[in-house]
Amino acid sequence: MTRSPTKMAEQERAAFRAVELARHPGRPRTLQVIAGCFSDWTELHGDRLFGDDLAVVGGPAFLESPGGERRQVMVIGQEKGRDAESRALRNFGMPHPEGYRKAQRLMRQAAKFGIPLICLVDTPAAHAGIGAEERGQAWAIAETLITLLELRVPVVSVVLSEGGSGGALALAVADRVLGLEQAIYTVAPPETCAAILYRDAGQRARAALALRPGVATACEIGLVDELIPEPQPGAHVHPEMVIAALRGSLLRRLDELCAIPIEELLAARRRRYRHAGG
Amino acid sequence: MDALMDRRGGLPLPHRRFAPRLVPAPGPKPQPVAPTGTVACKGCNRRFVTERYERALRVCSLCGYHGVVPATLRATQLADRGSLHLADFSDVEDRDPLHFNDGVAYPKRIAEARAKTGLREAFMVARCLIGGNPIVIACMDFGFLGGSLGSAAGECFARACEMAVAENRSLVAVCTSGGARMQEGIAALAQMARCSQGVSGVAAAGLPYISILADPCFGGVTASFAVQSDVILAEPGARIGFAGGRVIEQATHDKLPDGFQTAEFLLAHGMVDQVVLRADLRDTVARLLGVYSR
Ligand SMILES: [Zn+2]
Repeated sequence: MTRSPTKMAEQERAAFRAVELARHPGRPRTLQVIAGCFSDWTELHGDRLFGDDLAVVGGPAFLESPGGERRQVMVIGQEKGRDAESRALRNFGMPHPEGYRKAQRLMRQAAKFGIPLICLVDTPAAHAGIGAEERGQAWAIAETLITLLELRVPVVSVVLSEGGSGGALALAVADRVLGLEQAIYTVAPPETCAAILYRDAGQRARAALALRPGVATACEIGLVDELIPEPQPGAHVHPEMVIAALRGSLLRRLDELCAIPIEELLAARRRRYRHAGG
Repeated sequence: MDALMDRRGGLPLPHRRFAPRLVPAPGPKPQPVAPTGTVACKGCNRRFVTERYERALRVCSLCGYHGVVPATLRATQLADRGSLHLADFSDVEDRDPLHFNDGVAYPKRIAEARAKTGLREAFMVARCLIGGNPIVIACMDFGFLGGSLGSAAGECFARACEMAVAENRSLVAVCTSGGARMQEGIAALAQMARCSQGVSGVAAAGLPYISILADPCFGGVTASFAVQSDVILAEPGARIGFAGGRVIEQATHDKLPDGFQTAEFLLAHGMVDQVVLRADLRDTVARLLGVYSR
């Protein structure tokens, strides 16, 4: 298979434009989705161990159906921030270990009250830093994965815009995983992949083409179940429209999952992840 | 360091003389002409007669540096003599979901890794006894594409977990890996969940799981099954973490603390249960399982 260098370069640029689109600041962010989908959300802070990580937000809320029926849920998500100040405050959505441990605390709380869990994924990756390593970033992610696999309530995850590395997967092990159509979901951000594969982070466009980071790829291998359609050219032009569609999907998915006896649901979750990724 | 010495009863720790290298030296190192039948320690460059080095389990008697051990040799070092029986996972298929090609097609890379290591995948799984305890042992091989975790390796580990449950054996995993196998993209990420599911099954069956972390152990392997065990043992000087030190330095421009991400550093931060000399691994595992499984 030979392709002309100019054509390859054009394909690479197009692949990276899709990554940039997924990172568009106007796309629905976690807090915006929470405001648009849920009522009575009360934010709960802190991991009770070290601190409060603002890259991860969470708390209990109601999900209201158009008929006015209210369903209790626990909502946890990664928040990237909207402007320079909030982005810095939220570390661009890259959680530290305390973010994952706060998430675990709220997951266990959801199980205690028997209320379904909804996870909103929006992170380029888990934070890479000295403090994060000292406090066990890998340990925090690994424990979150186990917590979700064994959680005795229905779990729905949504890849909003960017899901990168184990830092995203830690909130995306679920009975149903939804993804906004133009989101990306990758083993690592294209920059990191390029650094590992080509030893040059500058070749991120090449990595973006090779890795097929679009959430559709995750759908093909069964890691994501449903894509939420977006208007052209992307969710940033009509975020409220996308949020409304997402809310409809969440309602349908919870109706579906809450009707399944919990042992059956857990067995299906085990089977799903036993064969994850082919 | 004092605290560490105290915890080990003030025993002399020969390996401590070895200061772990944090950043790989740039470019290929000038290799001195090797006398035949000898091997150089990667820590201090001292040459040893191969036979003697192997008898010392590839640990330098001078600086304590623990050299790389391929998977099959590792299992042989840990298992009771004559008890090792490799599991036949030859039906595990490798996948190339992205038709990945970075100059060399991914299937060709796998074929090369197989030829080089004699293994089918980055995981080698076997049944054995350790101190008389029935074990399923799953060893990673860093020589196989950097011990990276792809879907075939994930399937091997998941089967190892199921084998442990089905045969009521304890699970021992030796982990050394650069992380998820980038060439498989998102399918590689999914293996973290697949392997975690395996560990969850072993835990539900009430069976002990001991992980041994060897140099280096990073990324999606550390962030899943490597640290989901009941007991985490680490070899002296092993570098262990989520993100690599070089990545962190480049991203944050922070100066890394001394010994950052070494086994000893992680012990001091409460992340591993013990740092164990390679020569003591077998006895430590045997002693632990003796207590857990009776
Ligand atoms: Zn040496």
